[in-house]
Amino acid sequence: MESETALPKWASKPCIMGIDEAGRGPVLGPMVYGCLYCARSYQKTLSTLNFADSKTLKEEKREELFENLKADESIGWAVDVIDPRELSSKMLKKNKINLNEISHDSAMGLIRKVLSIGVLLTEVYVDTVGDAEKYKVKLSERFPNIKFVVAKKADSLYPVVSGASIVAKVTRDRALRDWVLDETAANMHTTFGSGYPGDPQTKAWLEDHKHSIFGFPTLVRFSWGTCTSYSKDMVEVLWETDDADEDGSDGRTGKRQLKLTNVGFTPVKRKSEETESSGKGRCKFFQARKLELLSHF
Amino acid sequence: MDGGNEGYPLLRSQTTVDLSRNGEAVADLTGKVHLLPCCIKYDGSTSVSDYFKPKFSGIEVDGLRVEEAYFRGRKLNGATLPLPDGYSGFILGKKSSDEKTNAETSYCWEANAKFQNLTLWNHDSLPSNDDAFMRTFHWFAVAKALHQPVNVEDLEYLPVDEDVV
Repeated sequence: MESETALPKWASKPCIMGIDEAGRGPVLGPMVYGCLYCARSYQKTLSTLNFADSKTLKEEKREELFENLKADESIGWAVDVIDPRELSSKMLKKNKINLNEISHDSAMGLIRKVLSIGVLLTEVYVDTVGDAEKYKVKLSERFPNIKFVVAKKADSLYPVVSGASIVAKVTRDRALRDWVLDETAANMHTTFGSGYPGDPQTKAWLEDHKHSIFGFPTLVRFSWGTCTSYSKDMVEVLWETDDADEDGSDGRTGKRQLKLTNVGFTPVKRKSEETESSGKGRCKFFQARKLELLSHF
Repeated sequence: MDGGNEGYPLLRSQTTVDLSRNGEAVADLTGKVHLLPCCIKYDGSTSVSDYFKPKFSGIEVDGLRVEEAYFRGRKLNGATLPLPDGYSGFILGKKSSDEKTNAETSYCWEANAKFQNLTLWNHDSLPSNDDAFMRTFHWFAVAKALHQPVNVEDLEYLPVDEDVV
């Protein structure tokens, strides 16, 4: 989603852009990266528009400011909505991608997108994720023609980032409000609350939607620590990709060992024999295809 | 387990599998059998179709139409394999009439359902013809070659190295 596609005249003059995120902490729903850009010469006017850190504003005020900035022809904006399924699956891949990396990629994707429509970006202000200095180096390497300001609390320091935070926050809130659950089980509802793990509404929603086999609907970020506290209510699932990890390295992690002991598998070797067919003792053709001859079962 | 008798109690030699169930129709699970790359420590029914929603990924690999679905937060890539003509898949259960005898010692099975295809799912990798499970299908061709009756004509046209003869 982004502002009108026709490139405004001011975009070919040096422009500044702010980038901020909404929904990084919640256990459910999408994470949204938003950006707002304008000509450097518009910066002064921008600071009179009452943009402030979106978290300090009431929802109605944010909605109002978002509508105002959408109508402002001197401002451009774009968002990247990252689906919770994408967050969970990237963080649970065999080669895990952590949330900082996902965040960095999203921010860089927005910069690329804005550059590609022809906006002359010269300065980009970013609310930091992880170490600010390292992040700045990473961004500067990718985009050598842009001057980066990476700072903590950038959303309250720079109006252009405050504006981006409003874009992101309003988009995230609307996305969650209008969310249509993929799952079709009976008695599901959409009283998600804010999505933050401490929110009583969110807690109640998680409690109402936990499932012993499937865990949760895909709106939930399974990679969040909050979900682990529900694991006692769920059937254990052992992944082949996790097993491979274990076989591949000599030093098995303590955590993994603990998990196996919990379900009564002590010798790892025995486990794979129990669950996996093998062609043991047969000719190579069968061994390679794990085809076992079962005469008694 | 018994010490002698190659580790099997005598009863074990009476394993039977009843696929016909006396002509009684069994449920057809074609399109609903999924092989997941994980072990779910549960045996029983659950509302699969409400939670597990495969969608076409837009990708094709080795002529396989790749589907995607999510399970416990992980993204799975799958492909549906038809079973070759003349083959069927069966879901077996312990024969119900044997309940009076201890289920643990019964080796009489019967078909509870059958299927003509199954969907094979990978975590973190796209399905391909090199997947271990796909490779088990090679057996069908080998079995056919091994068990096809041989008649006199087949023997006549056998490519024989004449120098040796």
